[in-house]
Amino acid sequence: MRRSLVNDPDDLVVEALEGLALAHPTLVRHDAEHGFVARATPARDKVGLVSGGGSGHEPLHAGFVGHGMLDVAVPGAVFASPTALQLYDATRAADAGRGVLHIVKNYTGDVINFTVARELADEDDDIATEVVLVDDDLATDLGEEPDDPDAPGRRGTAAVVAVEKICGAAAEEGADLGSLAELGRSVAARARSMAFAIEAGTHPGSSRPAFDLDADEVELGVGIHGERGRSRVPFGPTDELVARLVDPLVEALRPARGSGVIAIVNGLGSTYPLELYAAARAVHGGMTARGVRVDRFLVGSLVTSLDMHGVSVTLLPVDDELLRLWDAPVRTPALTW
Amino acid sequence: MNARDTALDAGFGERWTRAMTTAFATEADRLGELDRLAGDGDFGRNLTSAFGRVQQEVDAAGPTTYAAWLTCVSRGFLGTGGTSGPLFGMFFRELARCSTGDEPTVAELGRGLSAGLATVQRYGKAQVGHKTMVDALAPAVDALGATDGTLRGAAEAADEGARSTADIIAKRGRASYVGEASRGVLDPGAVAMAMVLALAADSAS
Repeated sequence: MRRSLVNDPDDLVVEALEGLALAHPTLVRHDAEHGFVARATPARDKVGLVSGGGSGHEPLHAGFVGHGMLDVAVPGAVFASPTALQLYDATRAADAGRGVLHIVKNYTGDVINFTVARELADEDDDIATEVVLVDDDLATDLGEEPDDPDAPGRRGTAAVVAVEKICGAAAEEGADLGSLAELGRSVAARARSMAFAIEAGTHPGSSRPAFDLDADEVELGVGIHGERGRSRVPFGPTDELVARLVDPLVEALRPARGSGVIAIVNGLGSTYPLELYAAARAVHGGMTARGVRVDRFLVGSLVTSLDMHGVSVTLLPVDDELLRLWDAPVRTPALTW
Repeated sequence: MNARDTALDAGFGERWTRAMTTAFATEADRLGELDRLAGDGDFGRNLTSAFGRVQQEVDAAGPTTYAAWLTCVSRGFLGTGGTSGPLFGMFFRELARCSTGDEPTVAELGRGLSAGLATVQRYGKAQVGHKTMVDALAPAVDALGATDGTLRGAAEAADEGARSTADIIAKRGRASYVGEASRGVLDPGAVAMAMVLALAADSAS
């Protein structure tokens, strides 16, 4: 039996967005009529950055609106894409005359609604747009031909935070639309993520989690929408479970000895900070054993799946330029340095 | 002058929009049930939501021309989530754009329908035989594009196409996830598209 804190489950997303804006009035505003969250003070003379997707992954994306990251975030209902009109209105709001970059996690509904929004913005408003598709989830890498138009491809998960942070920094520096899109695609192309859960998330107002796990089971390769994972593995100590994420990531990315990565150690909703920092330590151990530096850590619950109990690890091989953009100032409700 | 190049009777756009609003309010449950049998079950609710928004758009915009009425239909769907929202929304956007007159000619509707099919296929990547709305739309485009094509003929072709989806195992769209379980079930998107065309024919006469 699970319980959740709701007034009416149907009102939860909008009430939370209102609360976000009330809590951070100098950073963001909630446009209830058009269904998006924008910077409290719109930026001038830069490319606009828009992201969005289903709710239930907070603080993604609305928590990353502000200087150095997004201009506008567009939340859908829980685990459902925002509509094409929401995204179109958001694109118009984000345009400061230098075009708009869409940062989209790879899910069918999100991709199609963002694409329609770009077509409307182009045809009806003459706004230049580009898209970066984030598809970092290694668990959904089925070795398809990259050019197969029918393959759904990998899901987009926590690497979207790195894309938003790095493109956000470059946009503040005045990068043009084309080079931002190229930068974002290169970050997305080199990042991979992998997650496990020891308990599934529960929809607001529902009493049962999306799937059941026995006490000795762990769902490995789990997604962020209550999808089942790729396999079930035995429960064990943190270091063993984290190794089940780090090992395949290293296998896929093959970072050279002496090279560096950014590691995002992400809680999936109800993983608490003690657990997460112990997981970060395990990631550090796994990388150090392979002669790879963790140049920067981001540890926290950033891309969640309601109250799922689990961890995702994202590795992004970096160079000095990416580190410089990563270190650039950011001021948003959920990320500030 | 060919009858296909004569504008339809005044009020066609309004009659068609209102007929769809009424018909889908009645049929949403039946279409939703088809979707539950071979899909994710949200199609009925999405249709209800879309036509609720169409009514809001109509109330706000006060359309007077065919293009303005169909733009309300398009925006109603584009303001609805899922994948059927954007697909139907962009389909109706092409239909709204097919004529600049107060009412369209049959030939213009033929070109709009053809552009709508191209848009749906561009976004949905579906071909005939994939058990989607394309199975109803493609034969209707062929029928209406013929030199003597009529709206009634297009509606009948769409109806036949929608019926054919019962025999198909889904390869695209919502029903593709359930595979063999989709056999014997009509595709709700194709059925909805056939309804759209039947209501166009009803509204023209």
